[in-house]
Amino acid sequence: MSDKGIYEDFSLVRRRARRIFVIVAVLCGLTLAVYWKIQILDYKKYESLAVANRTREIILPAPRAILTDRTGDIILADNRAAFKASFIRENTRDEAASIARVASLLELDPSVVASRIEKYKSWPAFRPIVVKDRLTFEEVARIEARKNDLPELIVETEPRRLYPRQSFCSHVLGYLQEADANDLKERARELRPGDMVGKMGIEQGYDRRIAGREGRVIDVVDSLGRKQSELERVDPVPGKKLALTIDYDLQAKAEELLAGREGAIVVLDPSNGEILALASFPTFDPNKFITRFTPEEWQSFVNNPDNPLLNRALQGQYSPGSLFKPVMGIAALDSRTIGLETTFYCGGGIEIYGALRRCWNEAGHGALSLRDAIRYSCNVFFYQLGRRIPIDTIARYAEMMGLGRKTGVDIPGEKEGLVPSTRWKKTTRNEEWYPGETISVAIGQGPLQVTPLQMAVLTARLANRGRGIRPHLVLGASEEPPGDSALNVRPEVFEQVIEGMWRSVNEGGTGQGARVEGFAACGKTGSTQTISRETAERIGTGAKAAKTHSWFTGFAPRAQPRLVVTVLVEYGGGGGATAAPIAGKLFSLYKSNHDRPRSTQGN
Amino acid sequence: MIDRVQLKEIDWVLTALMVANTLAGILLIYSASADSGGGYAWKQLLWMAAGLIVFFLTISIDYKAWMAFAPYIYALFLLFMAGLFLFGRTVSGSRSWIRIAFMGGQPSELAKVAVLLMLARVFSEYRAPYASRGVIALSAGLVGVPMGLILLQPDFGTAMCFLPILFGALVLAGLTKKTVAAMLIGAVVLGAAGWNFFLKDYQKKRIEMMINPAQDPRGAGYHVLQSQIAIGSGGLTGKGYLKGPQSRLRFLPARHTDFIFAVLAEDFGFAGVFAVLAAYFAMLARMFSSVGLSRDRAGIYIAFLAAGLISFQFLVNVFMIVGWLPITGIPIPLLSYGGSSLLSTYFALGLVVNVKMRRFANV
Repeated sequence: MSDKGIYEDFSLVRRRARRIFVIVAVLCGLTLAVYWKIQILDYKKYESLAVANRTREIILPAPRAILTDRTGDIILADNRAAFKASFIRENTRDEAASIARVASLLELDPSVVASRIEKYKSWPAFRPIVVKDRLTFEEVARIEARKNDLPELIVETEPRRLYPRQSFCSHVLGYLQEADANDLKERARELRPGDMVGKMGIEQGYDRRIAGREGRVIDVVDSLGRKQSELERVDPVPGKKLALTIDYDLQAKAEELLAGREGAIVVLDPSNGEILALASFPTFDPNKFITRFTPEEWQSFVNNPDNPLLNRALQGQYSPGSLFKPVMGIAALDSRTIGLETTFYCGGGIEIYGALRRCWNEAGHGALSLRDAIRYSCNVFFYQLGRRIPIDTIARYAEMMGLGRKTGVDIPGEKEGLVPSTRWKKTTRNEEWYPGETISVAIGQGPLQVTPLQMAVLTARLANRGRGIRPHLVLGASEEPPGDSALNVRPEVFEQVIEGMWRSVNEGGTGQGARVEGFAACGKTGSTQTISRETAERIGTGAKAAKTHSWFTGFAPRAQPRLVVTVLVEYGGGGGATAAPIAGKLFSLYKSNHDRPRSTQGN
Repeated sequence: MIDRVQLKEIDWVLTALMVANTLAGILLIYSASADSGGGYAWKQLLWMAAGLIVFFLTISIDYKAWMAFAPYIYALFLLFMAGLFLFGRTVSGSRSWIRIAFMGGQPSELAKVAVLLMLARVFSEYRAPYASRGVIALSAGLVGVPMGLILLQPDFGTAMCFLPILFGALVLAGLTKKTVAAMLIGAVVLGAAGWNFFLKDYQKKRIEMMINPAQDPRGAGYHVLQSQIAIGSGGLTGKGYLKGPQSRLRFLPARHTDFIFAVLAEDFGFAGVFAVLAAYFAMLARMFSSVGLSRDRAGIYIAFLAAGLISFQFLVNVFMIVGWLPITGIPIPLLSYGGSSLLSTYFALGLVVNVKMRRFANV
């Protein structure tokens, strides 16, 4: 190199270098600004992302409350540990391939697994998605054996509902299913997808109380999801044991008596409204529904024309038939349409408004009072009342007695029934009420509809001489009835009707099948045509459709009532032949269970 | 080779800044690898010792001699990389890692300094006020061949580091507006061609991720997102040394190399970022100031290109880890773990000190 370099002018080159340095300096300044923005201005956002990154919340499900009978000793609903297989999306690279592997390991259709995962796609990837529950021990072993090459599949344990007596009391207890979209919307704060919720009966009505409070663990995990430490733990609080009002013996007997038929039985204590037995047939085994999936059993139940999931005691709406006659009697006496000793003559039939109306006894009952009209369930007597009492007066008394509105029972789904009136006909059909229709209503036919539970509650009001109760299934639940507690009806009115019901059972009336020696039962039978005889013959549906529904409702003992029994057997034939003996067996069981100690002491 | 007068002229401030930044890097590498016993930090300490030897060897030989050797060094690396391309073994999708003795070495890191020397040599005798087409073509070719070989490895990040050397040299030599316009057009055409024909899918994805990192948080955007979380959650004062959860729980990728600055930001917060940035900027400023103190054109180019190269890598990295630039695998010189990166940086800094200490020499 030469000396020339020393004297050379480098100012141009150096100026260019300085310019670049200025750019570098500006970019370093910009760096500070960018980091200021992220670290100072957006700190909260990134800090919460960091916390979410490294912590993982695991929900500890709470066991549901144990449900027992009224003694607290007989367990109707319990829990046991169950295993479920869950899929963790975070632990897989190739989701489609691992879905296929998981499906073959669990012997499931890959599309079932895929749709399950699709359903919960919005969840964080680390949260396990249940793909199969009710695992067998063999399946658990198979999954555990593949733990290392199938990290996306894990076995989780959860307390699972167990109904140790299968279908026993199933309509009262209800069943559980995975929360649906509607549940999740209504109870967004309490429920998360995948939770099991009560779908019927006590399980639904008391779901919040039964469910307990879930616990949670917050773990600190590394980037591979491995647990590093536990940050926080809240233990689950199991639901508090709940004793039902159910009397095990009565319930078992009621179910035994209904087995093989379709119908409902309600047994309650008229003094406080405690339901001692509530049976509906056909029935189902709720154990079969406790799964997050839709098993074949479920499909078959939903599609079953006999509808085993229908709680006929609350949801079945039937014509009361002759069970309505005591209501007519109260309306007639209290409105002073007739006096206590008024009699009408029954010649087996009567022509009213140009149509011949028959009594069930074509030979006729002769002249009888209200008491004997109830005793023999004479139609003609009540036709005469129907001719004299306006429909709206009848409706007022029926509603006073609790028909046409919910009883307020503490499980969901009950129906209101229907009490027709002129206004009802105007608003629903836009037609005038025909007096002839009142004649049908007078014997409990026509548009009138009731549930077996409403009839039991009505019977309790009769037994209490006007005092109403609220039926309930959980010990300690409210006893206050909706609407009026006491009726403004003269006491002797009730005594007349009760006398008729007593005679029906004890003095050769239609209800004599319910008679129990020494237990002064009072009752009323009913046999309601489901379709008219002519229609049945025309469409030829055969004997079953032509048979009447068989009703009985009654209470005992007469003076200090302790028990109300209401029985409905669909297509059971005459009320006296089918329903009354069933009620009799229940009265008898109750009496022998409760009176035996006293009588042995007496002996 | 080195006399006492020159010893006094060694830029001890720059040397101290270099060592300080390296030690800061080692502290951070220790934090990043603390879960595995901090092994990388001890290795980096050894590399620093080796680097200091390289540094003093570099300054002991007059940079004019380095200039004279430049074509041979350049040719040697070219051959080496061509051989590597034929026989190299693949580590994480790239051929650049080979075994030298018992330590892994990445020759392409050192190739940057070889190219730097080569360009300084080309322009040391170039006196025209603006770069001619011929010299532009020559320097583009000299940079393009090794860069192409490295792209083929493929190592996009390291290849990119050749661009500031080329453009630094051309800017210094002088670019007319016409040339700049022509180069911009050429860049757009090349960029479009490269996007369509040369970039691999994962590289395209990274560029797309930069625009929207949230679109696939478990996939390609994961690294940027985790890095942003680490930096942002550091706040003003950080989580404390060795305590940053993003780093300790391994959410942060490539913690000891490409994302070392995110470890700093998480452990020490904005305060730490400010301090290290200040120290780093002081070092860069000192390097740029050497440009004005060199006695000849070769020295100017050496100091400027070295300063430009280190500035480029630093700035690209700090913007890359916050998502302002695509993730391209460019570590921060001195701070990030990596033997060959450290050695080549010490080599480059040695050359700068070399130029400055010999500014009064009469040869």
